[in-house]
Amino acid sequence: MFYRLSGVYHSSLISDSRMFKVPADRNLAVFLLLIGLAAPFILPSLYLNSYILPWLIWTAAALGLNLVTGWAGQLHLGYAAVMAVGAYSAIHTVRLGVPWEIALIIGGLAASVIGSLFAFAALRVKGLYLALTTLAMQFVMDWVLTHSPTISGGSHSSLQAPTLALLGQQITSDAGYYYVALGWCVLVTIFMLNLKRTGLGRALVAVREKDFAAAILGVNSFYYKILAFAASSFIAGVSGALLVATFYFLAAPEQFSVNVSIQVLAMVIVGGLGSIIGSYFGVALILLVPGLVNGLVVTASEELGMQVNVETLAHIPNAVYGALIVIILMIEPLGLGKLYGNIRDYLMTWPFDQLRK
Amino acid sequence: MDWVFLSELAINGALTGLLYSLFAIGLVLVYKASSVPNLAQGGLTMVGAYVVLALARDLGMPLWLAIPLAAVVMFGLGFGIERVALRRLAGRPVVMILMLTLGLDIFLRGTTLAISGGTSRSMELGVSYEPLLLGDIFISRIHLVGAGVALALFVAFIVFFRTRTGIKLRAIADDYMASWSVGISVERGVGLSWALASVVAVAAGVIWGEIQGVDQALSLLLLKGLTVAVLGGLDSILGAIVAGIILGVIENVGAEFLDPLVGGGSRELIVAAVLILTVMIRPHGLFGRHDIERV
Amino acid sequence: MQEKAQGQSILSMNSIEVLYDNVMLAIKGVSVQVPKGGMVALLGSNGAGKSTTLKAISGLLKAERGHISRGEIKFDGTDITEMLAQKRVEMGICHVIEGRRVFEHLTPDENLTAAAPMGMSRSELSVQKDKIYDYFPRLAERRNSQAGYLSGGEQQMLAIGRALVTQPSLLMLDEPSLGLAPFLVAEIFGILQKINREEGLSVLLVEQNALAALEIVSEGYLIENGRVVMHGTAEALKSNSDIQEFYLGGGEGTNFHNVKHYSRRKRWLS
Repeated sequence: MFYRLSGVYHSSLISDSRMFKVPADRNLAVFLLLIGLAAPFILPSLYLNSYILPWLIWTAAALGLNLVTGWAGQLHLGYAAVMAVGAYSAIHTVRLGVPWEIALIIGGLAASVIGSLFAFAALRVKGLYLALTTLAMQFVMDWVLTHSPTISGGSHSSLQAPTLALLGQQITSDAGYYYVALGWCVLVTIFMLNLKRTGLGRALVAVREKDFAAAILGVNSFYYKILAFAASSFIAGVSGALLVATFYFLAAPEQFSVNVSIQVLAMVIVGGLGSIIGSYFGVALILLVPGLVNGLVVTASEELGMQVNVETLAHIPNAVYGALIVIILMIEPLGLGKLYGNIRDYLMTWPFDQLRK
Repeated sequence: MDWVFLSELAINGALTGLLYSLFAIGLVLVYKASSVPNLAQGGLTMVGAYVVLALARDLGMPLWLAIPLAAVVMFGLGFGIERVALRRLAGRPVVMILMLTLGLDIFLRGTTLAISGGTSRSMELGVSYEPLLLGDIFISRIHLVGAGVALALFVAFIVFFRTRTGIKLRAIADDYMASWSVGISVERGVGLSWALASVVAVAAGVIWGEIQGVDQALSLLLLKGLTVAVLGGLDSILGAIVAGIILGVIENVGAEFLDPLVGGGSRELIVAAVLILTVMIRPHGLFGRHDIERV
Repeated sequence: MQEKAQGQSILSMNSIEVLYDNVMLAIKGVSVQVPKGGMVALLGSNGAGKSTTLKAISGLLKAERGHISRGEIKFDGTDITEMLAQKRVEMGICHVIEGRRVFEHLTPDENLTAAAPMGMSRSELSVQKDKIYDYFPRLAERRNSQAGYLSGGEQQMLAIGRALVTQPSLLMLDEPSLGLAPFLVAEIFGILQKINREEGLSVLLVEQNALAALEIVSEGYLIENGRVVMHGTAEALKSNSDIQEFYLGGGEGTNFHNVKHYSRRKRWLS
């Protein structure tokens, strides 16, 4: 009906290694991209900039973490610290008079260098111990950030981001910020989509499944682990810088605290490890739903004429956020991406599979 | 070098360290009985303290009744956590279980604060704030009480893990499938370990609540608890006690020397450094089991 | 004959179908009877569905996301098809799983304690332990060392001993000979036979090593592709020319001129 297929049957390697194996998926992607491009003309800028824009940038960041956790199978609880490195180095570089384009790349590279330090932990331990080590590294980075005024911006521990300018164009409008975020997110998505089709992507999956078995096949797991951390940290760094440049406008250490690291990991896992579309869903769920529920509680209490404690309201989003993680993991441990996949697989052959039976 | 001052630092550090152990025992219990990291212990500790307060303040019970009753409530909560959440993920990769316990932690914290509000409350155990004088050394009474509780729990659990139930729990941690095959109820065992960890959380919540007030800062003990648990070897109760003392002394003495150099607040840095070094140099900690790999 | 077997069998499994993950049909209608006090072997090649059959009986399928989609299993006349694994152990079914998975970080002594039913008294437990150490004197020597460091044969003995502590009336063993030297296999099988004789314990044995298995059991089932394709007494199976050729390494030997012949002959299997 939707896909007009009776199953996916490839008759050549080329058709099997296409980016979109099913034409309908490609059409859907193009359609969504068109909606994305038209969004500033459709949505009020309040929604655009307080919901859609952070969603896009966090998705880019989550995809970066998915690269290292979902593809290469390395647990990472210090991702926010890497984002912070990117954000602070980019901003400081711009303040020195370097154009934003180069500053973003420098931010990404700086994050890559620091992020690769996390990889050295990954060379020694994996699983739970890697998670704990990266968590401790996050605490160290937090500490460095809050205790060095030269980095974090003096006594108030906040750093004003200079106005974003790309290609010689000052960007100050809401639509402008939005397009920057959209562009970055699309770029990262295309990179990740292509990663699956390359030897690098396959090598990472091999390292995830069994690193010593991969080593026997001639995959240098040492090299690929570091590469995975470096690539994901680059994405983290640029995402962090863009987040400050287009959304926060003011960099502060709390924006990249340990809770944020946990949040990004939650986005990736709730979305589904290794799933690209899942990361979009996961970010939307973790970022937007707690706020929505809070809004509902406020409206409901007003409708019913009940007085809800301000403090209660302040903590409901957190409770909802935690509950979401638990509930999604209980329903489908492989995340929202898997749920989407199940529905898609069903619709893929529907209604023809009924005939086959 | 002022020896009196140094030994005061060391002794108080050791006492504080034992309080970290009190927290870490909850982590170790769950790991020892199910090989699952319990990152929700911070949340549980907070809930434990709030339940005691709710019983004592809001229902007006005396503390000697409120604390055991809270332990009973938390015992049930621990079983409930296994029944509702963990059972479905048994045997899944550690990433998912790690995330699940983190999610639980966030949920417990959020719910507790939504119900009780974020303002710090005091426990008022009735332990005198007057320090104890040991020669020239000042020692806080509540720390001494807490250290005693930690040591008592330590002895209790050492004995417990030698009983038949305790051995069954250790068997579960070794191999779920083999446990099922000889009729051990893995679900009940894991549930019991969470229930015990929740009871430990009440003890930790009461003592820490008395020291620093009952608020969300209680859940921040997680990093220190984790460091102690890892340094001791994740599945060793003795390790948790020894590592607690070591970390407490290093932290207290180290901070005294480092703080002037870096302008204060070096405690977290020391703790994080100990955690990183432990994992890098000796991942199985001081007394943890080496994993036996046969090829 | 079927009727007669049912009357005295401790386990009767009727056309069981097992699905993994709701999609993969692992066994397709297997029926197995174990007579009271008898020793029965399930033979077959890798992936034939032997282990799945045992897991269906012991209730361990759930741990691997499998379930019984059709058929029924009766143990001592009680329907146990939907029963929890733990309940089945209490009833007297114990499954020694594949790969001698002892509790590595516990001592052999603690391994035995861990398997003891909660209701067993302390003195009863020590009697049981002594009995097991009598059967396996090697274990007694090393009762307080770490189980993970025992040799493969000792671990297998421990796994069997651990199962005996649960006081089963039906013991199921999944490839106890895996990776063991022939003389150890003979030793372990000898002990199994002894326990079977002395205590009347029924045994259901899954084996690749058909030669060794057919020496000790009284009857055998041949499973291929999730179906029982042959059933008979040990003598009958041993003398069957197909069995000799495919499973006992006898017959004409591995002559590659006979490959065509082989595939034709194996057709009855599927």
